[in-house]
Amino acid sequence: MACGSTQLWAGESSWFCCGSSWGPCGSAGTGACGTCQSSKNMAAWPNTTAACWDTTNPGACGENMPRRGCGSVMNVKHQCSGATVCITVADCGPNVQDWCSEQTCCNGVCRTHRVIDLTPAAFSVIGNLSSGLVPVYIYE
Amino acid sequence: MSETRKGFDRRRFLTTAAVGGATIVGASALGGFDADAAFAAPTPSLDPAIARSTFAEGRITAIKGSVLEVAGSYGEKNLIQLTNATSIWKLETVTAESVHVGDGLYARGVPMPDGTMAADAVWVNIVNLYVTVRGIEKKRLHFSHGRNALVGNIVEKKTAAAFRGGALTSNLSQLKIGNHAQVLGAWRPEDDSVDIARITVGH
Repeated sequence: MACGSTQLWAGESSWFCCGSSWGPCGSAGTGACGTCQSSKNMAAWPNTTAACWDTTNPGACGENMPRRGCGSVMNVKHQCSGATVCITVADCGPNVQDWCSEQTCCNGVCRTHRVIDLTPAAFSVIGNLSSGLVPVYIYE
Repeated sequence: MSETRKGFDRRRFLTTAAVGGATIVGASALGGFDADAAFAAPTPSLDPAIARSTFAEGRITAIKGSVLEVAGSYGEKNLIQLTNATSIWKLETVTAESVHVGDGLYARGVPMPDGTMAADAVWVNIVNLYVTVRGIEKKRLHFSHGRNALVGNIVEKKTAAAFRGGALTSNLSQLKIGNHAQVLGAWRPEDDSVDIARITVGH
């Protein structure tokens, strides 16, 4: 399946490491789908399964994103720059309930709640890893 | 000049610099470039004549002039060329002299015909970890990260915190044992600790 242009969700994106790696990331593992690698354009989605949803608990922040399982593809677009990366879902996350009300803004427009985590490879396509967070639109 | 246009120009310079061998590292001929803008430069603005950007990661095994030899985590070998236009982050924006053998990195750049990557941005030892606070000292914090323990160093004038969606502050007094947090910082290979750039505490 190819990445599409139908709007799916919006919110904050952070990044995380997975797969074989150096430093503290060396123990990260390959994620809930068993395929995650930091050097691939991949992501964690908070509703890959019912068990995943129960863990990430997006409902605590009023989020109700649809289920998209391992291998689903999405386009993630920086809200302001327009930079876009096509990712494959490879893990369950982020833990949305921990970050309710957190905002990331650009050009005076803010996105609230962490709704997706990108691998370093994917995040670096649309933003600066040292910024840690970017506001994004998500399409499929 | 728009961000898109800046990204375009930076990449054109980067490729030209690398092809022409103008790989003087350190003091930048492009001193006017803002590091954040450079790191964030979006890739879709690439001139079609310039190859699509690529990504590399791994640990530095050798530094030969302006080229970093990097062993990837899956056995691949990457040659990363630093140029005048390369932005380097290691807890803060630094010059190439701060990069050492043994450091880990993520790099974004342009593939060159000789097999190297002309780096646009290099993030050295950067980590962004979900942790739980297990101990608090004046100069360091103790975390659990998955099943492992991790020490986070509080770096004067650099470490900042955000609490439950609030603004960044240098005041860490709201930190509590048991807090779930995300730590963005620079790993220290010599002792396996992390210098904290930012700790973001959730609910």
